[in-house]
Amino acid sequence: MPEEATKLTNQVKEMIGITGEKVECWNAIEKEGLRRFTQALMDPDPRYWDEEFAKSTRYGEIITPPIYCAYLQKTPPGEEDPVTKAFREDPQSDGLGNVTRPGDLPPIPTDLKRILNGGNEMELYKYPSLGDTVSFQNKYADISERVTKDGTHMLIVTQETRYWNHKEELLCVTRLSLIRR
Amino acid sequence: MPTAEELRQTRQIYFDDVSEGMELPPYIIGPITPTYIFRWSAAIENWHRIHYDQDFATNHDNLPGVVVQGTWKQSVMPQYLKNWCLPDGWVWKISIQHRAILVPGDTITVWGKVTKKSEKSGLGVVELEVGMKNQDFIESCPGSATVILPINGGIPVPYPFVAP
Repeated sequence: MPEEATKLTNQVKEMIGITGEKVECWNAIEKEGLRRFTQALMDPDPRYWDEEFAKSTRYGEIITPPIYCAYLQKTPPGEEDPVTKAFREDPQSDGLGNVTRPGDLPPIPTDLKRILNGGNEMELYKYPSLGDTVSFQNKYADISERVTKDGTHMLIVTQETRYWNHKEELLCVTRLSLIRR
Repeated sequence: MPTAEELRQTRQIYFDDVSEGMELPPYIIGPITPTYIFRWSAAIENWHRIHYDQDFATNHDNLPGVVVQGTWKQSVMPQYLKNWCLPDGWVWKISIQHRAILVPGDTITVWGKVTKKSEKSGLGVVELEVGMKNQDFIESCPGSATVILPINGGIPVPYPFVAP
């Protein structure tokens, strides 16, 4: 493809492999967060809330849904409200693109504005326990380019995130494919 | 969708019970309403406006309206597979793509089909094709998964999970 058309510039390629800071999530795994999440997921599994039953399972304790730990990247209280910041900087913010979270990777240097969730990969190893603190670390695992039939250039950004408990046990690995177009 | 009581009493499906081409019992979810979508955004603090701001979704992103989150789909799929292999199996890997959007009014069928089975290190490795269709049979979330099932009379699936 002509070099001037490509969105996979050298500057973009240099982002591959960039790893973010390892961040400990503010709150430990707790019942109320788990209740809210599992009800929104519509998963009534008693392994998430019935302590007596959970003790009788192979896990011996309350567990979380498989990728629950992927949703703990909340802004700690006391830090600047990311939503207010996003709309102050851009009153037309889509609520996603310029909303920052702890551990975020530096933005991809591209003029492609729209961001779509193209797909996900997950590898699961362990459920965190109640009281566990979870840490995570993001990495740009890959960035490639796709050109549609009508000649539109898109970037496929693969962001890998690893999650550990406070004992440094690997909980899961997720790979998110973000389409920039 | 199984009830809490059904999940409490789920009987193990063993590797021996599975055959290539076998279809998993589907989940029917819906019809989806904007309230379900909003509740998910609130639970995970996803502020993307296409999930709760009808005007933004239609006029800015040219969508038919608010849409179901990819994060919800990526969470329902491991839930579906986890429930299939309870109590002692393990969902190891899942890979899904987000294709057609899902919108309020859609009734969603989550499905899975065994494509391959093999034994490794005394464990049953089951490969699946998975997806999520709307009521018009449009596939929203095609993908694949690898689930580990115990072999009847064999060793337990390790926990924490260690890849065979």
